[in-house]
Amino acid sequence: MKIIGPDSLVFGVDDVASCNQYLTDYGLIPKEVSAEGGRFEALDGTNIEIRHKEDTSLPAPLPTGSTLRKTVYGVADEGVLEQIAAELGKDREVIRHADGSIEALDDMGFALGFQVTIRRPLSLPDEIVNAPGAKANRGINVIGADEDADIVPRTLSHVVYFVPDQKKAEAFYVERLGFRVADRFTNLGPFLRPQGTLDHHTLFLVHTPPEMQGVEHFTFHLGNPSELLQAGKRFVDKGYESFWGPGRHVYGSNWFWYFNSPMGVHVEYDADMDLHDDSWEPRAVESSADVSQIFNFTLAKKWMPGGDPH
Amino acid sequence: MEKIWLCGWADIEDGDCRGFDPFDEGRDRLFVVRQGNRAFAWRNACPHRGYEGSTMAWRKHAYLNAGRNRIVCSSHGAQFDIETGECLAGPCPGQALEPATVHRDEFSQLYWLTNRMQEK
Repeated sequence: MKIIGPDSLVFGVDDVASCNQYLTDYGLIPKEVSAEGGRFEALDGTNIEIRHKEDTSLPAPLPTGSTLRKTVYGVADEGVLEQIAAELGKDREVIRHADGSIEALDDMGFALGFQVTIRRPLSLPDEIVNAPGAKANRGINVIGADEDADIVPRTLSHVVYFVPDQKKAEAFYVERLGFRVADRFTNLGPFLRPQGTLDHHTLFLVHTPPEMQGVEHFTFHLGNPSELLQAGKRFVDKGYESFWGPGRHVYGSNWFWYFNSPMGVHVEYDADMDLHDDSWEPRAVESSADVSQIFNFTLAKKWMPGGDPH
Repeated sequence: MEKIWLCGWADIEDGDCRGFDPFDEGRDRLFVVRQGNRAFAWRNACPHRGYEGSTMAWRKHAYLNAGRNRIVCSSHGAQFDIETGECLAGPCPGQALEPATVHRDEFSQLYWLTNRMQEK
């Protein structure tokens, strides 16, 4: 079942104008933005959609009032869409929308959409660093540090749900939608990878009391760790509130930097996530500060050591 | 107890909120909501289980909802009563914000009353 990953996350929020501004400043490309909401796209077209919480076109909110109203997965083709419709149609309502997408609830009550993916193939350069001994270096007289570098998130990476029953939630994604467990925090839940991607995870489940059900965070992949650090610094300079990082995770190896947001979820910058196929043997460990990150920094103010000696 | 100057009373617009980082740590220690002649001061520390002490604003001074009638934690969306600090919605039912003590002096200057040694 070739599900590629989330194409779009749809939020129903209290403060539309602030969310619009926030996602624009985060670096996404604003499309069709108005007082009613907007769509905020990465380079491959994956996006965040903002609507007012009272917008009647949205699926109903969770009882906890979480602002995430729908997770829309991109799938490889129409055949996959029909496969999913048939599978989920066995025990729940599957809504068919005019745009060809389908909609159903997962076993925790999160509204899911499925559509033939809107992702545009990306062909972009990586950062080339000057590593002694490496075959490909940046080159002579080519400057690495660029304060004005254009940094746009490349693609929607993953979303993290708080779920009241990690076993049941996991079983739905694994048994019904064919997701693979990449790794696992035994006391929290699994990192899950659908079959249409090699990314370590596009979904992570965190077991919590029922009153916390909702979203911990979502994130877009940036091109590389340098972009992550520079984008995060710019975001802080615009007044946004850092929550955790910058740092580097152990499971997935991805660099991270998390921020608070007016959607009431954390929003991450992410870069350099591990890729896996079905030959990968999942690891499992109880979560702790040590196993969830290799390092965690806090941004400090710029300064000039030594000042001006003249 | 020590008085740490925060701002002039007029620096907080009526109905609005300001966050304060008196030790220049890059994150607010407290925030103050002004309603008319009253000020409600709270620690910038969400009580949410597992996330205790998390910073609550999403941008400098941004602690309120769009209607400016509730405090919102932008970590996971918990909503709090401005006057009582009680959690009204979201992931920490039954919990409340920790108050901070502020004082407005005769020159309309706002101070935080605290023990600096215990803060550090």
